[in-house]
Amino acid sequence: MITTMKYYLTFAWRNLWRNKKRTLLSTTSVLFAVFFATAFRSTQSGQHDYFIQMSVSTYTGYLQVQGKGYWDERSFDFSIEQNDALISLLAHTPHVTLINPRLESVALISHELETRISPVIGIDPDSENEMSGLRKRLVEGSYLTDSSRGVMIAEGLAERLHVGIGDSIILYGQGYQGVTAAELLPVEGILRFPIPKMNNAMVYLPLAKAQSLFNAYNRVTGMVLMIDDMEKMKSIQSDLSARLDTNLVVMNWEEMSPEIVQVIQSDVAGELIIMFILYTVIGFGVFGTVMMMAIERTREFGLLIALGMKRARLLLITTIEAMLVSIIGALAGSVVAFPLLFYLNHNPIHLTGDAAKAMLAYGYEPILPVSIEPGVFLSQTIAVFLITIIVSIYPLLFIRKIQPVSALQGRGGVK
Amino acid sequence: MQRLIFLCFLVSITTKAYAQDAKEILQHAIDLMYGKKTYSVITMTITKPTWSRTVSMKTWSIEPDYSIVYITEPARDKGSVTLKRKNEVWNWLPSVQKTIKIPPSMMLASWMGSDFTNDDLVRQSSIMNDYSHKLIGEDTIEGYRCYKIELLPKPEAGVVWGRIIIWISKKEYMQLKEEFYDEDGILVRTMTGSNPKMFDGHLLPSYSEMVPHNKPGNKTSFETKELDFDINISPEFFSIQNMGRVK
Repeated sequence: MITTMKYYLTFAWRNLWRNKKRTLLSTTSVLFAVFFATAFRSTQSGQHDYFIQMSVSTYTGYLQVQGKGYWDERSFDFSIEQNDALISLLAHTPHVTLINPRLESVALISHELETRISPVIGIDPDSENEMSGLRKRLVEGSYLTDSSRGVMIAEGLAERLHVGIGDSIILYGQGYQGVTAAELLPVEGILRFPIPKMNNAMVYLPLAKAQSLFNAYNRVTGMVLMIDDMEKMKSIQSDLSARLDTNLVVMNWEEMSPEIVQVIQSDVAGELIIMFILYTVIGFGVFGTVMMMAIERTREFGLLIALGMKRARLLLITTIEAMLVSIIGALAGSVVAFPLLFYLNHNPIHLTGDAAKAMLAYGYEPILPVSIEPGVFLSQTIAVFLITIIVSIYPLLFIRKIQPVSALQGRGGVK
Repeated sequence: MQRLIFLCFLVSITTKAYAQDAKEILQHAIDLMYGKKTYSVITMTITKPTWSRTVSMKTWSIEPDYSIVYITEPARDKGSVTLKRKNEVWNWLPSVQKTIKIPPSMMLASWMGSDFTNDDLVRQSSIMNDYSHKLIGEDTIEGYRCYKIELLPKPEAGVVWGRIIIWISKKEYMQLKEEFYDEDGILVRTMTGSNPKMFDGHLLPSYSEMVPHNKPGNKTSFETKELDFDINISPEFFSIQNMGRVK
């Protein structure tokens, strides 16, 4: 049986090489199909991953432990105690790679006659940097340390307030339990964010300083968690929820950033339509090649059948041929796509014009990131492979109906 | 500042009143309540589900446009001053010796941690003209016979409330209760006045309480310790420069 199969394979392989041009043409059409499908899918998926990753690393983290009600009210009333028991519990949770405590509020930032409302975030400078790479954003001055007495502010905010390193700003807000929080704070660092919303607003100060300023000693508004496996996020979330006090909640990024989930969902819907069109074009392209091949070989098929070749065997050989063409084309497509996508993954295209404006409006750096997840390549290769197999049914039907006399006389083969 | 206590006794004083009686009753109660130039000592208690806080203050005001609130307690906030001039709110921060104007976008933030917003401080005068009012019945509140007056926003008015009901005692013209409904007719806030005392010759509730119904366990109450009418102050008193000087 295996030997027979080997013969068929050999026959099919030889058939392919009998007409190199034809084989090359079919293979190339599959190759391009896979290439385009992969490139498209990879760009889409890369963009979604980028949205998620940007949002997760700059702001929400994958998970956050908060006081129950905090997310809706954003009030210190729902802040939580930063105690060793909680930290140790989080630290001993599998897959948690980083625990980043934050005390967030909104306050008036004023310098001379200018006053702005800004998000004010008390951070652990090291863990915040580990999570979001905040230190990279520093354009002037120095990065905060735990014992800093001052603040780091975003570049756009500094411009609006006309402050530089060494100047002091007034921070005025409301602390824990309604107390007034007001203090003169020196600007120690200036940060540049690609996102205008952040670049015009953010104010960071060391956690301990924020806690004393807001009269929220030893309290945080959230423990931001990073994990090493996004797939496990929901199971970690439910596991933690079960083990934490009932006045604490664990939120995941999808709950904290529902707008991103929505953007992705609507994007995926549009993407499905485009993929359908792409697959249709691919399908007909491959079908054209296959049909041409079948017509071209009418005489050959007719002759073989006339000589006593069983139709079943002929069908088998042609199927093997089609599969070989598909496999080679699909693999080649992936192989061609990979270096290009790999390059783009590491050197994303920077967008300009309206597209860039739209992305900035969403709050993202205007780049076109691509994904090089193996899943993208695999799924597209398989999809195109299946399409090829489906369209290859045509020559099979053709062979079944072929009339040797008609075929040999060059009358189309079927009548 | 006296205004803050009965902040939400929002009354239309338009000349084109739809119901002359209701308008007169309200006008009378408003005049009695706010006086023209007042000085008061008030203790505000903010109650939240998990904590409460008491803030004591002195206030000076010329109704309806000017007021200054000087915080005397707690120690951490002592010396803070809020100045209201027409539609603007300014704060004096003693710890940094600076004045900050509250920007428009901050007007909906809580004032001193209470259930009132900065906007509540200034908004009142702007919505006074925005309601039509009608006498809808009589009722008894804490033993006082009261007029019950309904306020509905005029069609063109851009106001927060969909409907307000005010109870005013028939004899003393004290505002004893107000209910604030949103546009869907849901009760959002209730204010009640109680424990009437004589202040400078006028009988007025010395204790009042605001309960926001959308926030269970929250409450802001005011106790008036001292209230003087017709004190000798002029609008110049309510200047930014003077904020750092009042005591």
